[in-house]
Amino acid sequence: MIKNIAIAAAVGASLVSAGAALAADPIKIGVIAEESAISGVGIPNGAKIAADEINAAGGINGRMIEIVQYDDHNSAADAVRAFQRAANEDHVSAVIASYISEVVLALEPWSGRLHLPMITPGAASNVITARIKEDYDHLKYTFHGYLTSTELADIVCNAAKDQLVTGLHMQTAVVVSEDAAWTTPLDEEYLKCLPQVGLKVLDHIRLSPDTTDFTPIWNKVEGEKPDVIITGISHVGVQPTVQWQQQQVPIPMYGISSQATSSTFWKDTNGAAQGITFNLQSAPDTPVTPVTIPFAKKYKERYGIDPGYAAYTSYDDVYIIAEAIKRAGSTDPDKLVEAMEQTDHVGTIGRETFLGRDTSSPHGLRTGPGYITGLMVEWNDGKQVTVWPQGVAEGKLIFPSFVKIKQTSAQ
Amino acid sequence: MRSWISAAVVGVVLALLPFAVGSYILGLLVFGFYYAVFAMSWDLLFGFAGEVNFGPSFLIGVGAYAAALLNHYFNTPIPLCLVAAAVAAVVAGLILAVPALRLTGPYFGLITLVAVLLLQTFIVLYSGITGGEIGLDLPDVFANGEVRANYWIALAFMSISGAILFGLSRSAVGLILQASGQDRIEAAALGYNVTKHKLAAFCISALFSGLAGAMLIFSQGTASVGLVVDIAVGVQAIIGAVLGGRRTIFGAAIGAIFLVAAQELLRPLGQLSIFVVSAFALLVILFFPGGFLGAVGALGGVLGRSAR
Amino acid sequence: MQALQILIDGFAISSLYALGAIGFTLIFGVCGVLNLSHGAIMVTAAVAAWATADAWHAGTYGGALIGVAAGTILALATYALVVRPIQRSRAIPAEEKEIFILTSTLLWGIMLQEAIAYFFTDNPKTVRPLLPGVVEILGVRTPWNEVLTAAISWAAIGLVWLLIHRTKRGKQLLAAAINPRGLTLLGFELENIYVLVWGLYGVLAGIAGVLLGAFLGVSSANIGTLTASAFSVVVLGGLGSVTGSLVAAYVVGYLETVTAYLVAPSIRSVPVLLLLVAVVYTRPQGLLGRR
Repeated sequence: MIKNIAIAAAVGASLVSAGAALAADPIKIGVIAEESAISGVGIPNGAKIAADEINAAGGINGRMIEIVQYDDHNSAADAVRAFQRAANEDHVSAVIASYISEVVLALEPWSGRLHLPMITPGAASNVITARIKEDYDHLKYTFHGYLTSTELADIVCNAAKDQLVTGLHMQTAVVVSEDAAWTTPLDEEYLKCLPQVGLKVLDHIRLSPDTTDFTPIWNKVEGEKPDVIITGISHVGVQPTVQWQQQQVPIPMYGISSQATSSTFWKDTNGAAQGITFNLQSAPDTPVTPVTIPFAKKYKERYGIDPGYAAYTSYDDVYIIAEAIKRAGSTDPDKLVEAMEQTDHVGTIGRETFLGRDTSSPHGLRTGPGYITGLMVEWNDGKQVTVWPQGVAEGKLIFPSFVKIKQTSAQ
Repeated sequence: MRSWISAAVVGVVLALLPFAVGSYILGLLVFGFYYAVFAMSWDLLFGFAGEVNFGPSFLIGVGAYAAALLNHYFNTPIPLCLVAAAVAAVVAGLILAVPALRLTGPYFGLITLVAVLLLQTFIVLYSGITGGEIGLDLPDVFANGEVRANYWIALAFMSISGAILFGLSRSAVGLILQASGQDRIEAAALGYNVTKHKLAAFCISALFSGLAGAMLIFSQGTASVGLVVDIAVGVQAIIGAVLGGRRTIFGAAIGAIFLVAAQELLRPLGQLSIFVVSAFALLVILFFPGGFLGAVGALGGVLGRSAR
Repeated sequence: MQALQILIDGFAISSLYALGAIGFTLIFGVCGVLNLSHGAIMVTAAVAAWATADAWHAGTYGGALIGVAAGTILALATYALVVRPIQRSRAIPAEEKEIFILTSTLLWGIMLQEAIAYFFTDNPKTVRPLLPGVVEILGVRTPWNEVLTAAISWAAIGLVWLLIHRTKRGKQLLAAAINPRGLTLLGFELENIYVLVWGLYGVLAGIAGVLLGAFLGVSSANIGTLTASAFSVVVLGGLGSVTGSLVAAYVVGYLETVTAYLVAPSIRSVPVLLLLVAVVYTRPQGLLGRR
């Protein structure tokens, strides 16, 4: 008798809760990232701020956004399992995934198989969009919410032209990059665009991402006497920088250094970051767009540190997804994809629009004047100072005392 | 006899599982089942032949990449890729076996470790061909990725492998292996060809490891260092086998599936999930060195005694 | 010029390898334990030094001392919590104790690695250099830190040698390594010897960790490589032979440095791996080991 009552109560309770759930059915967005990495934890952190803002303004047509977090431990296998869980168990409508190209590339085919739209706020590999070009019908569910390596290289070259060639009359460079998926197209583009802006490439050194001893590399570079070291590093950053400073290598570093973008970089290097100049698409004190600084402020208030680079784009991506759901009037994957292709959103890094099917990088972000132009930021006295482009620069390029800039007077 | 009956019961339950649970859990078990085969193969080699293999992922990786390269570049149909994986893995097993016959203990363990590191380094070095750390994406996957079909394929594979490995361990060959593992001089003195049996153990362990590696990648759709070569893969197989109870073959399967499931169940803990699973495994090993099956056996013994 | 650079850089990195390896080989020689949480202990020491330098206002030197202390405490904890229970366990047959210790120290190392990543993220950390600035050695600009690394490593190694060969305790240690049974028959407490060795190991690993943190920087992601490195050096030199580890450390250090300078930085570790394979195939007891 008691058993029957218990069963009835259980059934009743579940019916009631099911009914309650139907009434305010939230829209779930899955966020997969490496939570023990600074660049990684920024992704769910940034997403949560966006979700809270949208929910405070009434949600998407009355439905609230719920962020579901998954830690992928920097493992493609873990990420795939998290993705499968997000799709099959937690029934998310879209996924924001990772800043590591290897992980995103492993997820891309699953995004296609499970018909689940996915956008990456931080990976740079060109292969992501190249695959969509090759097999649009299956892989159209993936969107590249960050810049490709080629675009990043072009931004560095543009900045180098202004600051290094025109401003400091530099003529030669050595490219130092880590041996990883995202640097292959980066280096290819560096080798093309650097000479075009006036910097002759004397050497191109690729190092293993597991390197801990950079002395041989710095010694080699110094021996070749370039005016500047153009960097493409992400897995490594603290170690080469500290050793560069300790060895007092008289050549400045300029280019891409993902670890330098994190707000703890100064402390992690005990100040060796002084003078390191690196690319970011947005910075906490720079009004790239009207939403940049408010977001950075909110992030700092809530989490106590400045946002990592992928936090900005993750924040934007939640808005992009939300707006697309509104446009489509549903969370149906195919309709959502169509709606996302029509994205025209002013985010923290610029005006975000996706390239079309007919271009060479479908679903990649459009770059250029009026869209996304990027920044060069430099560490100076414990702070990140934007130094390029002129329009938003807050400071000039400075160098630590041991760096010798060759001033060719007869120019 | 009793173990076969309980195995059959478990088998039936597992076979019917897809009608009761969702595709997420099934996907997880696919992973778990292949890891079960990794662990069982390791247990045959260690538990019986007494060889501490630190790098099961050398054998797993060789098998997996042999299959991956064929499928990616030549679109070779899956069955042929699997055959190639098995052959390649056995060859790799023989390569490992040669020093094993001359070395003992930590020295052999080091060779297996170095083998994994070398394989990983070469895959990353020749990333143009092998895909490096991104890995190779595969044109073919089992049943187009459909989870239930993949589940049954993995279950069938694990069951057959488990049956063969278990049968071997209990057979005359297995007993000789056990003797050679524990005291090779005595075994040789008794007239058994220790070398031949150890070689056989290596080949069998390699065959199943490599084959399981290849099947794993065809269920995931990519072959990458992180999936089949990384030291962590081997470590998880070893810990699973020790946790489940070494020298039982079944224990290895249970331990491996447990590890995979535990890590997923603890996913809400985020970063700490690996910590908790490792801590738990450590405690089990310290207090129940016989692993799960050992603990169950001891419990059964106690209950049996008190029932009389 | 480059030859001189190779000489100096190789020397510094080899000294660091030697310091790390000697502790590892001592533990194997005297206690028969291959401690797979070695890398974790080193990195914990380095991270402790980095964290306390700022958080507890300990400054550079205070932080370094705290780091070494942390290494020592952790090593003793490893012995007490992980290794000793297995050595004393009656449930584990003697011939299997080795695999259990290996697996347990491995799990312990993983736990430490995850704990570090959880509290400090896996971003690499650098310990403040004990002496900033550079010095010119025959025309090669060398950071003082690098010179100090080599100097302190050798000072520590020298002290260990003195301890083992010149003090009574040290001789007991040697005896324990050769014949533990004999030692107990003579009335010595093996347990005291073991605690001494693990404590000594902790100090060495702590110093190595702090120096590594200052010279190159460390992250929880480096832990596996550090353990594998120490393991390789020790096997190359001969398990249990302190002199062997010293020699092997220099072979490995120089081989890596020469490869990085003259061939390519990306394949730095390959020749060492190949050498290891060759040695284990042809002379498995290592350069100076006893069978």
